[in-house]
Amino acid sequence: MTSLTNHPLWVPARWKRRLVGWLGLWLIALVVGSRPVRAGLTPMEEVGTNDAVAVANSLGRWIWDTNTFDKQTCRLWRTFEIPHGATVSLASLRITVDNGYRLFLDGREIGRGSDWRSITVYDVKWLLGPGTHVLAVEGFNDRLAGGLIFGLYIKLLDQRVIPVISDTTWWIVPLTQKNWETAQVPTPEWHPAVVVGRVGQPPWDRWPMGMVVEPPLRIISVAFWQTLWFQALVLALLGAALLACLWLVTQLAVQSRAQRLLQLQRARIARDIHDDLGARLTQLVLLGELAQNELAANSGVRQQINQLCEKARELGYAMDEVVWAVSSRRDTVRDFAAYVCKYAQLYLKDTPVRCRLDIEMDLPPIPFELALRRNLFLAVKEAISNVARHSGASELHLRIYRLADGLQVVVEDNGRGFAQTQADPLRNGLQNMAHRMAEVKGRFTLTSQPGGGCRIAFEMPLTTTRTGPRWLRKFFFGADQLSELDNLSAVANREAEMKGTASHEN
Amino acid sequence: MKIEPLQPANPAPVAPRLKVVLVEDKPDLRDSWSRLINSFSDFVCVGTCVSGEEALRTIPTLRPDVVLMDIFLPRMSGIECTTRLREVLPKLPIVMLTGVEDNELVFMALQAGADGFLLKHTKPADLHLALLEVRRGGAPMTSEIARRVVESFRRPARPSEPGVHLSVREEEVLILLSKGYSNKEIAEQLSLSVDTVGSHLKHIYEKMHVRSRAEAVARYMAANA
Repeated sequence: MTSLTNHPLWVPARWKRRLVGWLGLWLIALVVGSRPVRAGLTPMEEVGTNDAVAVANSLGRWIWDTNTFDKQTCRLWRTFEIPHGATVSLASLRITVDNGYRLFLDGREIGRGSDWRSITVYDVKWLLGPGTHVLAVEGFNDRLAGGLIFGLYIKLLDQRVIPVISDTTWWIVPLTQKNWETAQVPTPEWHPAVVVGRVGQPPWDRWPMGMVVEPPLRIISVAFWQTLWFQALVLALLGAALLACLWLVTQLAVQSRAQRLLQLQRARIARDIHDDLGARLTQLVLLGELAQNELAANSGVRQQINQLCEKARELGYAMDEVVWAVSSRRDTVRDFAAYVCKYAQLYLKDTPVRCRLDIEMDLPPIPFELALRRNLFLAVKEAISNVARHSGASELHLRIYRLADGLQVVVEDNGRGFAQTQADPLRNGLQNMAHRMAEVKGRFTLTSQPGGGCRIAFEMPLTTTRTGPRWLRKFFFGADQLSELDNLSAVANREAEMKGTASHEN
Repeated sequence: MKIEPLQPANPAPVAPRLKVVLVEDKPDLRDSWSRLINSFSDFVCVGTCVSGEEALRTIPTLRPDVVLMDIFLPRMSGIECTTRLREVLPKLPIVMLTGVEDNELVFMALQAGADGFLLKHTKPADLHLALLEVRRGGAPMTSEIARRVVESFRRPARPSEPGVHLSVREEEVLILLSKGYSNKEIAEQLSLSVDTVGSHLKHIYEKMHVRSRAEAVARYMAANA
């Protein structure tokens, strides 16, 4: 029995699949490879020798400088005229130089050639208008005979024909001449070209061997915004603008960063002072209290020490206020409410006015700028002290509510009130409050009538200043400032974490 | 740890003086406070600790009636120390001492198990009163803290946590506190005795501790799930 696997044509299924794959790839490559490939970008055309001979008939003679030598550069020049008002309907330029050339028309290079055996045909119809035109050919002879052969056949719309051929009307321009391809008239140093041969004569007897037809030449009108210099200028301007922007942004960032850092430093100094001085002040109060305890209840010294303690406590409160005002650790609306309440309760504790609080539950921790909270606090402080000094009220209501886009603080009392036209004794305070609120674009409204208490409402807009994603803030304000802010706000978090780990461990 | 010799100001005390332990890292303040406490006829400072670690070691053996704890301590904070003491001595009244009235920290300490807080420059008379109130159960609470407590209880608990809620009366007491009423005024308003207000406060503190413990347990469960 012959096993299938021993068959010479047998291939395992796995290989078969691979084989089919390779075959497919090969087929694709074959199809792609056999597609005609476009060679070159200019359509070149090799013309038969008969055509070339016919073309050669409209040419002039072979002309050159009086001397011919190897490695020679020869400049040939002439002008021709197209009558005023004429329109060119056909202009066919044929040229070749033994061995190579650069061709200029009106100072503009329009072509080059390096194979003397074929003629190049340029269609220059679109380049010619009425007026004088300058033809300039820089020819180059490699070795032995050198020569230019040229024929420009111009046909006007009115059937007139202007032939320009290579002959002795051409001028030989010295190599020292500058801007010769645009020169309008020959100078005395120039001399006429000489005829060095005819078509069909040796050494150019088997000529031309081919013809290259160039596509029609046209002047491309380039709008100013398409020109290189303009684009470069725009690019340069853009670059400069970008650099300027970057510079300004950097300046801004540096400045605001400096400002933020300054503020932070200030807060830190205030806090340090507070922590240190606060501890010592506490110590002072305690020592005073202890000294007081050891003295007789009615002694004058005890009274004085008591006053001393009171003064020290007041100092502590004053310090609290300063630190609160500059600290960035507790700078939200929520903390503001807490602070104002504490202040009001403390201030009114020793007065007959009882302090009642009405604070919105769950005030959000929206950041509250230093300048804003300071002004609002000072205004509210003024209002509270007015109530304590002038109103004769028994109750003061301090209400703090959030508005749609701001914050409202109301100080209301049940005192004697006043007619608003006769608010003389209060005038200064009221003006102060109004001024403070105006400073922070807030509003201040007072309603009072004799015997009906007084209600002062402060309203101010709240704007959030800390916007933008963290990386952007980091980019503009730098990492250290952010980390500083984080440090400040992390104290509470750290406590919470410690608490958390403590409960986890147990 | 330094054990202060018992030096009764009054040679024949009517009732035994209540034992106080002070946890404070600054030596000057520690001395002044213990002298101040000893100057009260019904309190005595039986020991001082310089750190939370020492407090954890010595307080369970001293069995004080009240602990005064500085909120800022080096290494282990007063808040953490309170949490750990609570585990060992659930009934021990702990009062936080702070230099500045920082509501966030105080609230955190209360959640951790503290029964009240005192400012370090409190007048001796007020300090005495506060110590007595803590002893009776209801430590004084400021209006700001009362508002925080109400807010925290109104916030819905996570489903994984057992709900701890305030009773209607407890919330009434808290809201009046947050409006600036004193315990006495609250008692008048609600036709209660001042002691009843105090016991309400005590229950509120206990519920806060339960709630924060429940939260901690829930966090622990979530972390180990």
